[in-house]
Amino acid sequence: MKAKWQTVFLSIVLAAVLAAPAMGADTIKLGALYNLTGGMSSIDAPALNGAKLQAKLINEAGGLLGKKLEVIGIDTKTDQKAAATGAKKALAMGVVAGLGYGDTTFVMAAAPLFQKKGIPFVTSGATHPMLPKWVGNCMFMVPFGDDDQSFAIAEYTFNKLGAKKVAVWTDNSMDFTKALSKFFKQRFTELGGTVVLEDFFMMGDKDFSAQIARLKNAKPKADAVFISAIPNEAGLTVKQIREAGLTLPIVSGDGFDTELVTTVPGPKLANDVYFSTHTYREDNRPEVVAFIKAYEKEYKRPPENAFAALGFDAVGLIADAIKRAKSTEKNALRKALAATKGFKAVTGEITYSRPSGVPMKGVSIISVKNGKYKVEEVWFPKK
Amino acid sequence: MAAPSNRAWHVVLLVAGGLLVLVARATVNEYILSIINFVGIYIILAVSLNITNGFTGLFSLGHPGFMAIGGYVTAVLTFPVTRKAMFLELPRWLAGLQLPLLPALLAGGLCAALTAFVVGIPVLRLKGHYLAVATMGFLIIVQVLITNWESVTRGPLGLNGLPALTTLWWVYPWVAVTVYAAWKIKFSSFGRSMLAIREDPLAAQCIGIHLFKTRVLSLAIGAFFAGVAGGLWAHLVTAITPASFSLVMAFNIVVMVVVGGTGSISGSFVAAVIFSVITEFFRPLEESFDIYGIGEILMAAVLILILIYRPTGIFGSREPRFLVAKES
Repeated sequence: MKAKWQTVFLSIVLAAVLAAPAMGADTIKLGALYNLTGGMSSIDAPALNGAKLQAKLINEAGGLLGKKLEVIGIDTKTDQKAAATGAKKALAMGVVAGLGYGDTTFVMAAAPLFQKKGIPFVTSGATHPMLPKWVGNCMFMVPFGDDDQSFAIAEYTFNKLGAKKVAVWTDNSMDFTKALSKFFKQRFTELGGTVVLEDFFMMGDKDFSAQIARLKNAKPKADAVFISAIPNEAGLTVKQIREAGLTLPIVSGDGFDTELVTTVPGPKLANDVYFSTHTYREDNRPEVVAFIKAYEKEYKRPPENAFAALGFDAVGLIADAIKRAKSTEKNALRKALAATKGFKAVTGEITYSRPSGVPMKGVSIISVKNGKYKVEEVWFPKK
Repeated sequence: MAAPSNRAWHVVLLVAGGLLVLVARATVNEYILSIINFVGIYIILAVSLNITNGFTGLFSLGHPGFMAIGGYVTAVLTFPVTRKAMFLELPRWLAGLQLPLLPALLAGGLCAALTAFVVGIPVLRLKGHYLAVATMGFLIIVQVLITNWESVTRGPLGLNGLPALTTLWWVYPWVAVTVYAAWKIKFSSFGRSMLAIREDPLAAQCIGIHLFKTRVLSLAIGAFFAGVAGGLWAHLVTAITPASFSLVMAFNIVVMVVVGGTGSISGSFVAAVIFSVITEFFRPLEESFDIYGIGEILMAAVLILILIYRPTGIFGSREPRFLVAKES
């Protein structure tokens, strides 16, 4: 019995020891912190795939500064403790920069540790506009801020859809959705519109009949409804509102950037839906086309969502900065990143010109009509 | 009267622990240090849960709830005043208050213990599965409360940018205090009455043990240390959110207690070390071969094997012989 246990134990030790030195010696290391297992994995796993793909393409084209780029994927298990240890692990391995995460919570557990060491951290998908303020000058965002995407759809709703009175539905369980609603209301009322009804639900709700009843009876009548939700509720709300016979436009942010918006209600009911999102879906810029082609070739499936493209862009952004800095020294790299101007990313051009540290980046307004997605316009922040 | 335990060995272990901390701080990198810190926090959690679940046999899943209370109280108390003004809307006396870590930890622990009293009075009238479900309910109530009490907790976003105060010299003295307290309780008449309640409440009552008082106290003592561990956790990760202390964490701690042996302090200690290190151990394997999640799968396999071959846990209810005083 004892001998058997020993064998099992020793074989495990051996496996781990053998696996450890598999890392190459002279490479430029990037620490990619993602929740590859657990609740966030559907968002984070594609992002790491995108990041690794970018590194592979760069290496095939000759690498950086004569070295190969190596993306070390670290699984942080949708657990903040693991995020903190993962960040420390990446730093101990001597990474020149960190990247990762599609959610602010985890960035806040990892990024401050990079900041403390003065090493840049690039988030591929977290959109809270205060992130660079909270963390410091080593924090960089690939996506736009939540304020920009809300402003974009608010202006579109007011100016192009001609809605003057809106109802606002908010998922009250997440910071992201609450922030989205807040910024939407702010810009919509600034433009001269009025919010006639505010309603709330929680992530995981399946039945929206109470909210729909209040929406129907709202006085004065709403011209459009803004729904701040994440993908699961996006499809359900559209389906139930249309089934109830309401035809007013439904508007939202990048939580609606999912196939569920058309597959759950079906093409007949998925009509008159507008959302703001990363400039990626249904886009035909050469960067987007090339990315999708490369991704399909590498992983034998199309990119799962915009986060794959954002992960790809995060590594691209860092590589671009390394090229311009001609060095991987942390201060030079941080300055080069901060000076990024007009970097042609898959998800739009990135320029860091604002004091807030949030990139100036285009926001796509996408319409859904009879189950078909179409880019209506690309909105740019004014300042 | 014989000494309650084998003093010499205890002193040797304490000194050895101190030396290990010294060596670790001098030699290994921050990544390893943070793992050692988390190991220490999990030892505190497992040993303190053992007081509730192991000694008295109250199957509680509420431990992370107490951690959350302790963690948030400690975090709010140590939060720099200038940042408080930026992020939170607190009553004036709290907004201008910034405490060092030790009083903040004690306050966090006491708040957790106080909550345990209040919660324990209704909940501990339940038994077995009902108690487990009720404590789970408590955990969920705590999470919902923290999520919605925005002026103090900042809701789902949580508090971040906490000062990184937790070091090995904070964690391991608390480990020593926790183990010492658990040990003293176990080998006192109070601890014996806890064990008696676990084995047979009716018989225990017949020999004059106050069931309810003992149960509430064992919950509160466990909660105190969980609160302290929550505070240490918050200042190690430097961020704290309602989702930090989840049901998954409750199960992890319960697993440590069960695998170590319900009622065995040494068992909880060893199991906490094993289970916090094992997933880190498989990281190189996961990262080199792109098989993320294998660590969890193997951990589950180890758990199943232990439960098949040693259903009472590694140590059962006992402590290793050399640590315990000889029967006189």
